[in-house]
Amino acid sequence: MNKDKLDGLQQLNELCLTEDEQTVMLDIFDRMKVFEDRMQQIDTENVEVMVHVMPMVNVLREDRREQPFTRESLLEGAPEHTEDSWQVPRLVR
Amino acid sequence: MKHYITEINPNGTIAVDDTILVKEYETTAGSKILEGFVPLFSAEAVERLINAGYEISGKTNVGEFGLDLLGEFSNSGAVCDGEYLVGAAADLIAKGEIKGALSVDLNGAPRRAAAISGIDFIKPTYGTVSRYGVIPCACSGEQIGVSASNADGLKELLSVIAGHDDKDGTSLPAEKYEYSLDENVSGMKIAVIRELYDKASDGVRAGIDSFKEKLTAVGAQVEEITFSLVEAAQTAWQIALAAETCNNVSRYEGVKFGYRTPNYKNIDELYVNSRTEGMNFLSKAAILYGSDVLSKGRYNYCYDKTLKIRRVVHDAVKAVFSEYDAILAPACGETAYVPYDIKDAFSRVFAESIFTAVPNLTGIPALVTNGVQLMADVYRESVLLSIAKSAEGRE
Repeated sequence: MNKDKLDGLQQLNELCLTEDEQTVMLDIFDRMKVFEDRMQQIDTENVEVMVHVMPMVNVLREDRREQPFTRESLLEGAPEHTEDSWQVPRLVR
Repeated sequence: MKHYITEINPNGTIAVDDTILVKEYETTAGSKILEGFVPLFSAEAVERLINAGYEISGKTNVGEFGLDLLGEFSNSGAVCDGEYLVGAAADLIAKGEIKGALSVDLNGAPRRAAAISGIDFIKPTYGTVSRYGVIPCACSGEQIGVSASNADGLKELLSVIAGHDDKDGTSLPAEKYEYSLDENVSGMKIAVIRELYDKASDGVRAGIDSFKEKLTAVGAQVEEITFSLVEAAQTAWQIALAAETCNNVSRYEGVKFGYRTPNYKNIDELYVNSRTEGMNFLSKAAILYGSDVLSKGRYNYCYDKTLKIRRVVHDAVKAVFSEYDAILAPACGETAYVPYDIKDAFSRVFAESIFTAVPNLTGIPALVTNGVQLMADVYRESVLLSIAKSAEGRE
């Protein structure tokens, strides 16, 4: 990890760290690298990845139309909204 | 310092951590980014409690998204008893102000809080309690658990909330679970993990020693074992947790709900400034680390390896439970924690997670009682409850 890559990660995640925080973050990456490297020593050849810890089944049902929430109730939680839409700054000039 | 982020009913007996939705009451997950968010529905676990006649006292303070040690980095501030950190819900139970609480265990915070405050907490088998209505962070291993002052309280509340829920795609099929406090502890074989015992402070080790004596007194057989995968489990869970957190909190951008920065001139500034001002450094560190381990150049080395380590640890845990009924381990490294700088949080929480990572990574149940942690094989909560019950009242 380096400053340029960290800049890229911040941009990708819509975040902006202070200079001080960036120094701490680079140190975190260095510390975690030690543990990541140690984890590689465990032999996982021919081991299948385990995404779900418990057996999962695909649950299917017929499509049905429902409207659990109204547009008004969903908009009520928005920081800014018009009568029927979320409000954001102008996107097109 | 406040125990409740939102108070609901002064006569209520059950608290709900602020990472769990309660309809029509502000829910922030301890974060500024969700300031003002009022959910339109309650979590399934909350619904079940209310339908069973319980009254909710309020939304208890938690660290942002439940990522920290004991809620110390909540947007509402840490809760302390004197100079020491405590978990809000655990402290209320310890003081007798409420009967129990629901908490989300994603990195051991409620287990740690229970150990510090001297109450009981159980994180049940993954998938046995619906996660519908939990503010998601680390979906593959987080689980709603219950706190109470004793094993009877845990059994009572867990029996109400456990069971299949159609609304949660990871909910297991059983409609109901029967829990018991009466399994015969005499003759049970309990394993103490040497690697975790050795990493704990003298005070914590004394607690483990004392609990071993209680187990021996009721006829259980306690043996020390080595389990060399604890560090790999810790690293793997940190990687999985960070990766899943990165994805789950990407939805918070100041448009649809929650906090919006006043400092923006265009949509890009709205996104960046809302997220930057709305989340603390621990969350940002988890997001950035999670984003990195999922990146093209690092995916196989970190994330794919993590999912394989999960299976290796899962199989190793199964092997332990083929010989032993339960594992006894510290719930945390220290007997008390003081507030500290958030810049140290990622490293501090990672270091502490060595004691709590295995149940999150593998889905097994874990119970904290008398300041120590017990783990059992999946669906064997009754073993843990019976051990906790048998130890009650023994000095």
